[in-house]
Amino acid sequence: MQIATEAPSSFRSSAVRPGALGLIREALAETFGRRRLIRHLISADIRRKGSDTLLGNVWWVLDPLLQMTVYLILLSVILRRSTPDFPLFLFAAILPWKWFASSINDAVSSVVRQERLIKQVQFPKVVLPVSAVAAEVLNLAFGFVIVLLMLAVFFPAHATINVLWLPVIAAVQFVFTLGLALLVSAINVFYRDVGILSGHLIRLWFFLSPAIWSFDSSAGRFGAIEEALGEAGVSLLRANPFAVLLTAYRDVIYGRVNEAGDGFTPGQAPDLIALGMLLLLSIGLLILGTIIFKRLEPAFAKVL
Amino acid sequence: MPSGFAIQTRDLGVRYSLRFTKKTSIRRSFARLLKRNRGEKSFWALRGLSITVAPGESVGIIGPNGAGKSTLLQVLAGIIMPSEGIVEVNGHVSTLLHLQAGFDQELSGRENIMLAGALMGIDHKVMEERQESIVDFADIGAFIDAPLRTYSSGMRAKLGFSIATAVDPDILLLDEVLQTGDEAFREKSHQRIADVLGAAKAVVLVSHDMSWITEFCNRAILLERGSIVADGKPDEVVATHMEHSEHRKQKYREVLEGMRSGRIAVRGRPKQLVREAERTGRQIPAIAPEDEREPLARP
Repeated sequence: MQIATEAPSSFRSSAVRPGALGLIREALAETFGRRRLIRHLISADIRRKGSDTLLGNVWWVLDPLLQMTVYLILLSVILRRSTPDFPLFLFAAILPWKWFASSINDAVSSVVRQERLIKQVQFPKVVLPVSAVAAEVLNLAFGFVIVLLMLAVFFPAHATINVLWLPVIAAVQFVFTLGLALLVSAINVFYRDVGILSGHLIRLWFFLSPAIWSFDSSAGRFGAIEEALGEAGVSLLRANPFAVLLTAYRDVIYGRVNEAGDGFTPGQAPDLIALGMLLLLSIGLLILGTIIFKRLEPAFAKVL
Repeated sequence: MPSGFAIQTRDLGVRYSLRFTKKTSIRRSFARLLKRNRGEKSFWALRGLSITVAPGESVGIIGPNGAGKSTLLQVLAGIIMPSEGIVEVNGHVSTLLHLQAGFDQELSGRENIMLAGALMGIDHKVMEERQESIVDFADIGAFIDAPLRTYSSGMRAKLGFSIATAVDPDILLLDEVLQTGDEAFREKSHQRIADVLGAAKAVVLVSHDMSWITEFCNRAILLERGSIVADGKPDEVVATHMEHSEHRKQKYREVLEGMRSGRIAVRGRPKQLVREAERTGRQIPAIAPEDEREPLARP
């Protein structure tokens, strides 16, 4: 019979520990060798989320739309902000943010949730956070369809060919998210505090990222932030990976708000240099996350 | 199998860190923070274990709770890395530690079969071929295509058993979980277990049910406190185990008696006191009149 054993060998000893490169190679082999397992886990994941609710997976599209509506009401009615075509402005950033937040949220508990399985079956644990993050990709794809519909039906003035950059930006975000997911899912096994904290940290991160505001117009919105934080604070805000990502998304979907804040220029190419640098950083994070995950992996079964 | 053994361990030890044991309450973790350096930080669940299992052997592992039986199976299965020493396994290992561990509530029975196969690293094609025979054996009718959350616990157990025993491994590791389902299924499964055990080249079986050990095994190992106490013919080792556990029960009764009559001033549950005394080799204070005291630990 044929059996695909990814276990490195049948020889195990505490003395034999692969180095950093070996760990990465192992993680890659495990991820690609167990594609089928990942696919099973993803389909289980998607079905689980769809089954508890009346509207099922439709919620994933409705959720960012409703979130957008909440901020729309809050900002334009209560705080009397008037950005042109504000719904699109918000949705362009809230959609990818939602993707990130729910990916991390699922990934944090992905290993801990499978406690019983980990104690009873020998399998590469990398597949757990990987499938948690990968399961969300499908939802993002649905979200992008909504974006295209919005552009075509309601905001044709914003639409340009630059929308085609979306998959590229999403790819950079995917690498970043996966690296972070590996890191937090492994650490959460040892300190469950991570899972509790991460929800709050992600919310704070949201407000520090240009999702409901932007770096564009110095009049009105951003001016107040600039004043409060000073120059150093603003450059810190700009160094935030999600400053780069959300700005890039908004550039290609919405375009830019002009200086005065009463008009816009339609969709344009993203800042490729910033994106490229973020990609390098994300790859670094992914490598670091993989190494830490693989280092901690042998202890999972004992600690859980 | 080329060489002369199926499984070999040399000076195997598994250490658990107590710092990260799970589900600690806030109060306890604060207490731990305060006395950071006091108390034990780790304990050895297994220590100095050297076992060689030859092809064709079927080894039963017995021992009291907490002796390290399950840990031993986990190490052999590769779920836990040894903290010291070496484990060598010659052939494909299959573990039937818990039959329903990998089940997903939302997937159908059929999909769960494929998921279990993917988890165990069995080739997709092989699993597809076996799917029908697994479905047949489980015998749960139309439910096989319904999501698992609609199953009764009996159906779940049947499906789990069918999947677990459908693999045909070189080396089989079993935790005692195979008694499942209704009377008819149990009879059918008994035969299946005998078949699987017969087909495997080596078997390691953990059970509290001594009849299993004497029926299915041709060798038994008695583990106590992480080390081998006896190793040999099943009925002899089982007899030793019975003797030891009888002795332990006797001690519980003595301690309980002592506590009731006030001879023992220590607080705690008798079982824990006896186990603690066994582990440390010290005796429980004032368990017997001065001149009758004997070391509690070694029966």
